[in-house]
Parts: sequence; structure tokens; C-alpha cells
Amino acid sequence: MAIHVWYHVGSKDDPSGRSGFAHLFEHMMFKSTAHMKAEMMDRLTEDVGGYNNAQTGDDTTFYYEELPSNYLQTLLWAEADRMGSLNVDEANFKSEREVVKEEFRTSVLAQPYGLFGYDIDKDSFAVHPYKRPTIGSIEDLDSATLADVQKFHATYYRPDNATLVVAGDFDPQQLDSWIDKYLGAVPKPDTPIPRVDVKEPPRSASKTITETAPNVPLPAVALTWLAPPRSSADRWPLQIAAVILAQGESSRLYQSLVYRQQIAQDVGAEADLREDAGIYVINATVASGKTVDAVKKAIDAELRDIEQKPVSEGELQKAKNQIITDQLRRRETNDGKAFAIGNAATLLHDAAEVNNGLKKLQAVTAADVQRVMDKYLKNGKSLTIDYESK
Amino acid sequence: MNFLLIAALVAQVETAPPPPGPPREPHLPTPVERTLKNGLRVIVVQKGDVPLVDARLLIKTGGEADPPNLSGLADMTASLLTKGTKTRSAVQIARGVEALGATLENGAMWDASFVTINVASSNLPKALGYLADVVQNPLFAKDEIERLRAQNLDALQVSMHQPGDLARFVAARVLFGVAPYGHNLGGTPESLPRITQIDILAFHKRYYRPKNSILVFGGDITPENAFALAEKLFGGWSGGPPSSAASPRGTAALHKIVVIDMPEAGQAAVVVTRPGIRRVDPAYSIAQVTNSILGGGYSSRLNEEIRIKRGLSYGAGSAFDLRRDIGPFVASAQTKNESAVQVADLMLGEMKKLTNEPVADVEMGPRKAVLIGNFGRSLESIDSLVSRISFLALYGLSLDEINRYISLIQSVNAPQVEQFATTHLGSDSDVIIVGDAKKFADALKQRFPNAEVIPFAELDLESPTLRKH
Repeated sequence: MAIHVWYHVGSKDDPSGRSGFAHLFEHMMFKSTAHMKAEMMDRLTEDVGGYNNAQTGDDTTFYYEELPSNYLQTLLWAEADRMGSLNVDEANFKSEREVVKEEFRTSVLAQPYGLFGYDIDKDSFAVHPYKRPTIGSIEDLDSATLADVQKFHATYYRPDNATLVVAGDFDPQQLDSWIDKYLGAVPKPDTPIPRVDVKEPPRSASKTITETAPNVPLPAVALTWLAPPRSSADRWPLQIAAVILAQGESSRLYQSLVYRQQIAQDVGAEADLREDAGIYVINATVASGKTVDAVKKAIDAELRDIEQKPVSEGELQKAKNQIITDQLRRRETNDGKAFAIGNAATLLHDAAEVNNGLKKLQAVTAADVQRVMDKYLKNGKSLTIDYESK
Repeated sequence: MNFLLIAALVAQVETAPPPPGPPREPHLPTPVERTLKNGLRVIVVQKGDVPLVDARLLIKTGGEADPPNLSGLADMTASLLTKGTKTRSAVQIARGVEALGATLENGAMWDASFVTINVASSNLPKALGYLADVVQNPLFAKDEIERLRAQNLDALQVSMHQPGDLARFVAARVLFGVAPYGHNLGGTPESLPRITQIDILAFHKRYYRPKNSILVFGGDITPENAFALAEKLFGGWSGGPPSSAASPRGTAALHKIVVIDMPEAGQAAVVVTRPGIRRVDPAYSIAQVTNSILGGGYSSRLNEEIRIKRGLSYGAGSAFDLRRDIGPFVASAQTKNESAVQVADLMLGEMKKLTNEPVADVEMGPRKAVLIGNFGRSLESIDSLVSRISFLALYGLSLDEINRYISLIQSVNAPQVEQFATTHLGSDSDVIIVGDAKKFADALKQRFPNAEVIPFAELDLESPTLRKH
């Protein structure tokens, strides 16, 4: 079975001068608490054939366990225990901070396009804390203290900021009584939960910038536009457009850039819609011997086309089938089901969106797709990031 | 409020974790099989909780059959299957498959080439039609070969700039030399340009035969429907058994220390490698338990020493790469350049420790539980279920191993682990480090005075010496 605890706190809530803190903090949740020593979560899960992990995003942090169903009570106790208290010592804090710095090196520095993804966040937002990548920076990680850890826990790790999801083999009545006993006993603080209220202003003009990194074998380019928050009714038309543009080998950008013109090594499109604001991102790696300009021109031509002509009924249905089958695959496992529910409950404030969202997807028309392409891309301001070797 | 209720309200929550309830018996699916008249073996595992089907066709020949100067031929052949058949263009295939919401994946591994389709069960007959067509009637058109070659060369450039990927390419060459297992499955910048349409057509003709293939269905489908579909779509496929290829492993070179100097690498990749075991080795379950202790999973010794205790890496681990012949054992981690030598030393130390200190039951029990838990979860989604069954079939193992796996793992004991480690993880491993060598030059000289340092610009993955001439 799967147990998820979603906290409504993410890297956008990183304290000032502490980019990467929410994620660093996530690692601390596996250290000591009032009643558990460091790594005890692993003893309760891994040692009995289970699995645990956690993930920090821009808006949320979730902790999860997959394990034999007879351990449900044990893990509800443990999740309640680390929600109620955290008791990390200096040695554990420093050692784990080194691990996070290695994670930064692995995901950002050691990969030719690691910094590219980092730059897309950093450059796309002008003022919203989404501009600070979740993984943070080595300097900010180094400046974090144990006191910051305690403060962050007290501020955000509380029952009124958390959602529990249980999926799999359990007795609902028994589950309710355990939840009351363990999670119900965690006190709710009187202090309000701070929320980011920064509004990302519209962009005044389109612009192009260049970013560099060592050991980049092929140049790459990204175009970004500001997009609406995840709760927007435009979410599904934007996602369908992204699938039509770049998911699979029959998608428009793949056909044009990778297959017919052979000017790009790969191409992607994503409606990256977050709680407060989103970005629409199109990116491509330039094929060797080809130019960034040719790639940009080809992307532009495809965008003009999707803005000017409604997509065909067949293309629309294809995109819907791709999204729905993909969701089916993700929800095969208990963990996949719990993820979908936790995500909807925390980011969209309604667990039922896991099913309602797919109905909304089915209702999207070709006119909707054209309208959102007009609204956010054609009438929006683009940021172009050229990425190349230092 | 009465007294009892007040007592309940002030009752303290336990300060130690409540113990587990009684365990539930896992439900394991049972595979059934039939062989078509043309020799194609068809296996079905029905699992109907999600309306999806995964179907995988395995050709029992993969990258080990690449001729010495044509690294990447098996992978090019398998990758080109979906780029056009006698009746459908590459675009028609992509469009048709994606319109069904299906994913079609194809490529070559060691010992096998594969085409897999994953689709909503209502669309299976149409989707399987594409799979059958691309396996039996591929065109291998010249323009598609050129397109894929250019893409693979670019992808290889990207991989070779990732310290982790490059370290694994180099490790294979160091361990297996010029033998087939020494080359990169995806080819090299030198070999890819040499592969011709004639080579590809010949590879397909020689190995893509029903007698050399296995078709595995998993998910929301009955055995009767699966067998009927297989008969309809593959019954007319003809061809006898293929002639077999040469031994893929040759003689391993041991105790080599190789550093690829990549200036400004953001991190160093460290690999320790040695010959492992065959998949069909009777010591399979002992190898699994031994590796689970050493480097399989979060709390394994390598991750404990390198990540948890010392903060030197985001993750360290190891695995026996199990193949038809003896494949490599590989321990790996990425770390800041400055600590590369320390990480290699810790790996060698943990391997040695397994050979001379018995493993206590308190450690052995949890590490077996990790394997059994991973196994259980791998049966949850149909693509990993099909993958597991496919590998059993590929290596001629009994399919009921999935029903015996748990007891096989449970029966392993500490003396077996110690003896296995002594034979397979003892001294004389190869060490490969890819990173910014000036940042660990002193430590290297001290710990590994015989290390050979090769500048990235001089690296040639084709050569047993790894150097351009």
C-alpha cells in the first residue's frame, strides 16, 4: 500500500537568502525526532521490504512510503511523530547538507544541460520566488543553520498545512481510528501560515539572453512565456497544445525540427503551471552542424500555424488519448494513485479533481486550443534563452 | 464528561512505533504459455485491475552480436524497425500508434532486442498490428538510416559529456577489452558511421526469426485472446533458427586503474568493476542478497558509508549486471572531484570487508526484505511484470521462479554470502574515475600510483588502450 503526506510548502517558501532551503529541510525529516533516531524511517520501511522517499517542488513537499499493508499503523505513528517534532543535531545537519550539495552537483553541474533547466526558472520569473530553483545554490545552502530548520518546521509542518493520502489494502474504520489517535494528536499552532503573495507582473517586452556552461556538446534554446496558475480553466487546453506540439514522434515540432528538417536533436513543450503562476516552455537541442537561428525560425513557424489554424479533430483526439492513457499508466500502482490525489488535493484544493480533471480534458475543443495559444503565446512576451558552451 | 472519556482524551500516544499487524499473503499471477507452429513462444500473464496491456516481443539476440568494428549495429537495427515498413511510413506508424494513446518502444540490450507496446486494452488489437508489422516487415530505408545515425551520434556526444555515462562506457572496455561485452551498446563516434544498410538488413534477416523470439503479454487480457491475437498476427512469420554468435566476454583484464581527465567536470564519477556471474548461475540468489547488503538500496553499506555517514555523494550503489554470459559487477557513485579517490577507496574497502567479516542476522534479514519488497512492487505495474517474465524466458529459466523468488532469497545464509563475496568481490577490481583530474591528482598518486590518466580529448572508446593513435 502507499501512504503519502503532502505539506503545502515548497521552494517558493524558501526563507530570504536561503534558496534551496525547503528541499534541504526535506532531507532533515529523515533525521531524529522526539521518538525516532536518525534514519529510523528506513528501519520502519526499507528493513521490512518497504520503500520511502520524499520530493520537494515549487509549491509542495510530499513524503511517502510504499510498504506491506500490515505496517499501516506503524507508519501513521511515524508520520505523526515527525510532523509533531524534529530534533536534528548539528553533525547530522552538516553531513546531510553535504549530501544536498552533491545532489546539486549531480543534477545541475555534472550534466551538460543541468544548468539549462536551472536557468529557465531563474530567468523566466522577474520577481516571484519561482525564480529561485528548488535545488538552491551552494552558497545559500552553506549559509543555512540548524535554527532555520527548527523555525521552518514550526512554521509549516503542522496538521492544518498537511494532507494525508492512503491507497491500497486497508479497513476504513480501523484507518480512521488510527488517524484520530496519531495524527489527530498533533497540535495545531495558533500562528497563521505565511503565504507568498508576490504577483509576477506581465512582461513588458520580448527579449533574448545567452547562458553558458562548461562541457556543453550541442547548443540548446528555450522559449518561455508567462502562463496562468494551475487552477486556471485554461490548464487543459494549454496541456493539449503542448502534447500536439511536442509529445511523441508524430507531434508537430518533432516532425518539423527533428524529423523533416533534422535541425534539432530533440524538442519539448510543457505547460509548467504552478500554484501562483505558470510558464509555457518550448525547448530544443540543436543538432550538430545546424544553427540556433534555424531552430528558432522553425519553432516560430509551427507556433504561427497553431495560432492561425484550429487543430484538426483527429489531432485533438490523439492528444486526449495520449494524456488519458498516460494517466492510466501513472495510476496503475497504489503510489501512483496516492500521488495523483495528493497533488490535486494540495495544489487544486480538491481531491476529486483527479477524476473531474479528465472530464474537463475531454470537453476541450479546437477553438479552446487556438484561444489559449493566442492569449498566452501570440499576445504574450517571449523570453528566449540561448544556451551554449562556455 | 465521564471519567472514561477523559481518560481516553489524555491517553498518551506511544513513544515507540506500534508493531505491525499480521502479514497478508501476496497474490502472484501465474504465467501460461503456448508455442506457435513457427516456433514463436507466447507467454501471457493476466492481471486485470487496470484496463491496460503491455506486450513485448523479444529477439534473443542483442548487442553481444555486434561485429567488432560495428558497435551499435543491433541497436540501430532495432531502433529502425519503427521507421517504416513495406506498407507504412515512419510518420504513419508514429501517428497511428500515438492516436491509440499507445507507446511503442524498441531498441537493443545485451542478449536481446525488443519491441514493446503499452496500450489501453480496448486498443490492443490495432496496436499489436503495428508491433507485428514493424518486426516482420521493416524497410530500413537509407534516408531513415542516415537520420538515425546523425541523431545517435549527437546523443553519444551528450552521453560522453556526462561523467557517469562515460565512466560506464570506459569500465566496459577496461574489463572486457576487445570482446563484445567491452563495447558500448549504442556504438561509438567511430563505429556508427561504418554501419551500412547491408549490415542492418543482414542482422535483421539472421536474427529476427520466430524460433529466436518470445512474445509476452501482461495485463488486462485473457490467455485465449492473447494466443488468438498472436496466431493471427505472427502465425505467418517464417524462418528457421539463427546460427549462434561467438562468446561475448573474452578474458577480463583486472586491477587496472583508469582516469579520464575531463577538465571542468561538475563532479567526478567513480566506478569499481569486476566480472560478475551469469544470470543462470545457481548462485543467483546469493548474488542478489550479497549485493543487497553491499550496494542495493538506500541503507546498503556503500550508501551508508559514502552518503549517510560522510555526505560524499547523493547516492552510491552496486549491481550485478546479469547476462547470458558473465557480465560485470559495477559499483558506482558521483562525488565532488576532490573526494573521488576517497570514494573509490571506500568502495574497495566495503567489498573487501564482505570477504572477511560474516554478515550478522540483524543486517541480513532487512537486506533480504529489501529484495522481496522490490520484487513485490515490481509486480504492481504491468510493464515491470512483463519485463520480469521476459527475462526469465530469455534465459530459459522456469517461469515459476516468480512464485519461488521469495523462498529462494529467504534461504540464503551468511556463510554462503561470505564465500560468494570471497570468490566474486575479492581483490583486483578495476577502478575508473571520470572527472577533473587536477583536483584529485595528489590523492590519486598516493592511493593508486599505477593509475593511467587519459585526457578526454585523447579518449577512443574503440581501442582496448582507450587512446587515439
